[in-house]
Amino acid sequence: MTLRLTARNLALGHPGHPVLHGVDLDVEPGEVLTVVGPSGGGKSTLLRALAGLLRPAAGELLADGEPVRGPGADRALVFQDDGLLPWRSVRRNVELPLAVRRVPRALRGAPTAEWIGRVGLDGLADRLPRELSGGQRQRVQLARALVGEPRAVLMDEPFGALDAQTRAAMQRLLLSVRERQRCTVVFVTHDVDEALLLGDRVAVLGGGTVAAVHEVPHPRDGARRTDPAVLALRERILGSL
Amino acid sequence: MSTAVRPAPPATDRGGTARPLPRQAGRRAVRAAALLGFVGLWQLLTSHQVQLWVRFDHLPTALQVGQAFGRQLGTGQYWQDLTDSLRRIGLGFLLAAVLGTAVGVLTARSRWAADLLGPVLELVRPIPAIALVPVAIMLFPENEQGIVFITCTAAFFPITVSTRHAVRAVPPRWEEAVRTMGGGRARVLASVVLPGALPGVVGGLSVGIGVSWICVISAEMVSGQYGVGYRTWQAYTVLDYPGVFVGMATIGLLGWLTSGAVELTGRRLTAWLPPRAGGDDPRGGRG
Repeated sequence: MTLRLTARNLALGHPGHPVLHGVDLDVEPGEVLTVVGPSGGGKSTLLRALAGLLRPAAGELLADGEPVRGPGADRALVFQDDGLLPWRSVRRNVELPLAVRRVPRALRGAPTAEWIGRVGLDGLADRLPRELSGGQRQRVQLARALVGEPRAVLMDEPFGALDAQTRAAMQRLLLSVRERQRCTVVFVTHDVDEALLLGDRVAVLGGGTVAAVHEVPHPRDGARRTDPAVLALRERILGSL
Repeated sequence: MSTAVRPAPPATDRGGTARPLPRQAGRRAVRAAALLGFVGLWQLLTSHQVQLWVRFDHLPTALQVGQAFGRQLGTGQYWQDLTDSLRRIGLGFLLAAVLGTAVGVLTARSRWAADLLGPVLELVRPIPAIALVPVAIMLFPENEQGIVFITCTAAFFPITVSTRHAVRAVPPRWEEAVRTMGGGRARVLASVVLPGALPGVVGGLSVGIGVSWICVISAEMVSGQYGVGYRTWQAYTVLDYPGVFVGMATIGLLGWLTSGAVELTGRRLTAWLPPRAGGDDPRGGRG
């Protein structure tokens, strides 16, 4: 279950002075597209538009060829933080997409428990979000995003507020989870290394538009970080930011 | 997977953490002593008929009031007054809670509702509920309904205003989360807006119950038959001063008990909030 997301000459923000303009972007079904750019450069804006939370000021935004008219369960959104409902336990947060879709209570338990286990939170299902660490909360968000089997997951700097070690663990978790569920991923980050580590392709925002899209020239394995071609690309992207 | 094995954040973060017992007992003792001290001071000032600039020689002593209280507790009339007042406030407050929350949510979430209801509400809000007695008398065939109306109006405004603010303060992110799951307006309302605004609504209810006591008693004094307010005023007109004080003490106790109940229910419902620093927090676990 994947989704193709397409932007055609897209402008976002106020029509007078848009945050982004002239955006042409194709997110291929099943790929991980990472988006980097300077802060305030419109990364989150683009992601929110893909989620259907923002109406384009101009241009077109298509999901599998159909215009995006609003948010929908086919495109799950993961926030940097505070995306969990604080009065709901881990379990009840994770099952929320199923509840919204009116899946009968009896059928919610199994997938919910499965995803809580998959993100490594077994035994914490009854905790409230405030009783978790930042990394654990992001695990809950990941489980919540994926439990509903969306066709695309949109992630807005999901690991941006985590310490380096936790962030590395979350990156590994995201990749391993994707082995099971091959949905399209759009991953916004300000960290070029993270973008190069996770992405099949990296889109670079600059000057209020998508300045470039680079294929990462090495398979996603342990040697990716040290591949000279990847390192050269890293320098190029850093130079352009 | 370093975070998976990471222990939970500091235990002080949990809702149910018990305060050390001796400290709690100590605080209770101080509170009881403060209450006793107040009654003792009253007894001293009145029994010695102290006349400073204010005069305590006309006031009944605490002991006299206590004796009158004891006598009244044995009469059926006292209990009828009490249940009458409780029924009026219960009905008025309940209506206000439902209406106030509904109108608060509506005006916060719908521009149409805000434009249609806002001006009228703002115009009526400054009018003290007790000034509505003539209106109540004209509107309702029976005094009883009028008193409930006044009690309800009094509690309605703090509840609706708090609710409106609380709904507007719900972080948009929570709503976006549910919308990207495919949730519509009704789902956002039920799963995000109402639970998210609950702490503010509870604040409004706490204020509302206090105001509605003020108004039920005043309304009873003006137009009631039976009820603690009516009885208190009645006692004054026949110069039964201890009786007046019995009425006042009854009002105080009932007000304290009912706002305590509202407060406790509110805390149960919002047990997910982080525990407050410093203040007393009788929450047991996170309900």
